[in-house]
Amino acid sequence: MRPPWRRLGAWLAQERVFRLIPFVAVETIFVLVIIIPFLLTVYISFLKWRANRPFEQAYLSGFENYQQVLTDPGFWAALGRTFYFAGAAVALELVIGFVLAMLVARTVRGRGLYITILLVPMMIVPVVVGYNFTMIYIDSGPLNQLLAPFLEAFGIDPRVRWLSDPIAAQWAVILADVWQWTSLTFLIFLSGFSALPKQLINAARVMGATAWQIFWRVELPLLRPAIVIAVVIRSMEALKIFDPVVLLTAGGPGTSTQSIAFYLWEQVWVFNKFSFGAAASIVLLVIFATLIFFGIYLLVRQSATVARRIGP
Amino acid sequence: MTAVLEASRRQTAAAGARNVRRQRLRVAVRHAILIGWTIVILFPIYWMIATSFKEKHEWVAWPPHWLPHDFTIKNYTQIFVFDVAEKGVAREATEQPFNVWGPLADSLLICIVSALVALLLGTFLAYTISRFNVGGKHFRHAILMIRMVPPIVIAIPLLMYYAIMIPLAAETVLGTRLILFDTRVGVSLIYIATTLPFVIWMMLTFIEEVPYTLEHAARMMGAGRIYTLRRVVLPLVASGMVVTFLFVFILNWAEFLLALTLTHPDVVTLPVLLNKFQSASEGRLFGPQAAIGTIITIPVVILGILIQKHLIKGFSFGTIRK
Repeated sequence: MRPPWRRLGAWLAQERVFRLIPFVAVETIFVLVIIIPFLLTVYISFLKWRANRPFEQAYLSGFENYQQVLTDPGFWAALGRTFYFAGAAVALELVIGFVLAMLVARTVRGRGLYITILLVPMMIVPVVVGYNFTMIYIDSGPLNQLLAPFLEAFGIDPRVRWLSDPIAAQWAVILADVWQWTSLTFLIFLSGFSALPKQLINAARVMGATAWQIFWRVELPLLRPAIVIAVVIRSMEALKIFDPVVLLTAGGPGTSTQSIAFYLWEQVWVFNKFSFGAAASIVLLVIFATLIFFGIYLLVRQSATVARRIGP
Repeated sequence: MTAVLEASRRQTAAAGARNVRRQRLRVAVRHAILIGWTIVILFPIYWMIATSFKEKHEWVAWPPHWLPHDFTIKNYTQIFVFDVAEKGVAREATEQPFNVWGPLADSLLICIVSALVALLLGTFLAYTISRFNVGGKHFRHAILMIRMVPPIVIAIPLLMYYAIMIPLAAETVLGTRLILFDTRVGVSLIYIATTLPFVIWMMLTFIEEVPYTLEHAARMMGAGRIYTLRRVVLPLVASGMVVTFLFVFILNWAEFLLALTLTHPDVVTLPVLLNKFQSASEGRLFGPQAAIGTIITIPVVILGILIQKHLIKGFSFGTIRK
């Protein structure tokens, strides 16, 4: 009779068991840390409960929280604002990232150095980015000094408080995001450009295509996968925007820069509206799940077409 | 074909000097744009480092000082202060000592431990996904979904779970006090869960490059499963594991929302510490904040530059094929 640990070892080493070990371990973590809390949230979203009262005193209140969320103008305004931020930021990031990648792909001298520097923002902690841009936007910051000659010509005090103006503050948040995440779109497009088949482009050139034609008819269609990936990944990330908002404006002035993440955070951690927050996060999850599913679908379809076009 | 090539070559020669000049202009414009963007990127970082060496009256001086006039390392000595005894002494708001050692240790511990655990589990899972197709065809995409869920949606449930449900369950089932809220274990757990998708995706690209025949040969010659994994597969993906570890470490290092919401007041990570001095009531401590920001940024940027080449590969998401 073998000792039990040897028998356990032998049992685990069987192929049908062995291959499931990591799967079970990872799924256990997901269940413990994500699924159970999620189910708990569903339950709490049906309660009437604020954190200033003990949990035991909470009582079921049906769909009241959901009704509150769906009729809350603040929630929808924050959601719309988030889409506005994400749309503006991602559009700018795509255009700038694409142009930079195209320029770097055609550069020979200093190429490595450019790539190194252009990728730096990605590695900087978002909170620090928020802080850095605060320093630049403040009324006695370098931005105002650069603008001072123009502003003084019109008789305006150059010490503009950018972050106190709703629209300027919104654009401050967007520009901070663009500063940081253009590096990611640049990276994606750069790997796209370096994967372009050279023979195809040379063939087009030999056949008399102009640079313009080569770009629109050959390079751009081949770069479509990279563009889809950049759009999907950046949009998903941009909709989560939170850190720069907290550091730059703390949602202000008024509510003009509250993203949806910031809005929910404030409702739960500042106003202690737990059951409201639970219901709102379920609503948000449903909205995002639709988008995520669509995004993953796009990615999967894209990788399938790439595989078909280039072959196994 | 040769005729066409010949024709185009003749054409180029005819265009001659004009083309060369135009080419040079094009290169110059290209470099000008790239250098412009480089300045845009480097300026905020430079400004932070410059501020971290400025005296208090220079932080928001008008016109701003592009170089610190009174160069000082006071901001650094202030955050690395050791004298706990002096803490009780009332000081001016901008002179308050705030220790960066605790948060630094918390951040390092949480990030390293959770990155290691995620790396081990994720590599193992990526291996079985790649070799045995565990979880089915769409499992890897399902995993990616978890990463795309906004953290605020996870944070609200986790707060209630950590702060209420686990203590309640532990009390009734085990009869002991078990608290995850505001503990390093609690934060590490959620970091492991949120970074696992990245580990699995990155390790999949590395593991799929290891030829299956190699393992097969080892197995045929009688090597055990664990032995094959350890002596054949692991050495081949070791560099990939280092890259993945550093990448996940950087992700955790930068994480703010979950750390902010799941800890207070004991565990403080560096981003949370930076945010603490944002409150208007204390007066914005721009200098020490800049010093903290510099300390958070520099090591990560160096790590990032080290793994940059691999990141380019990891982020291609299948657009580059061998």
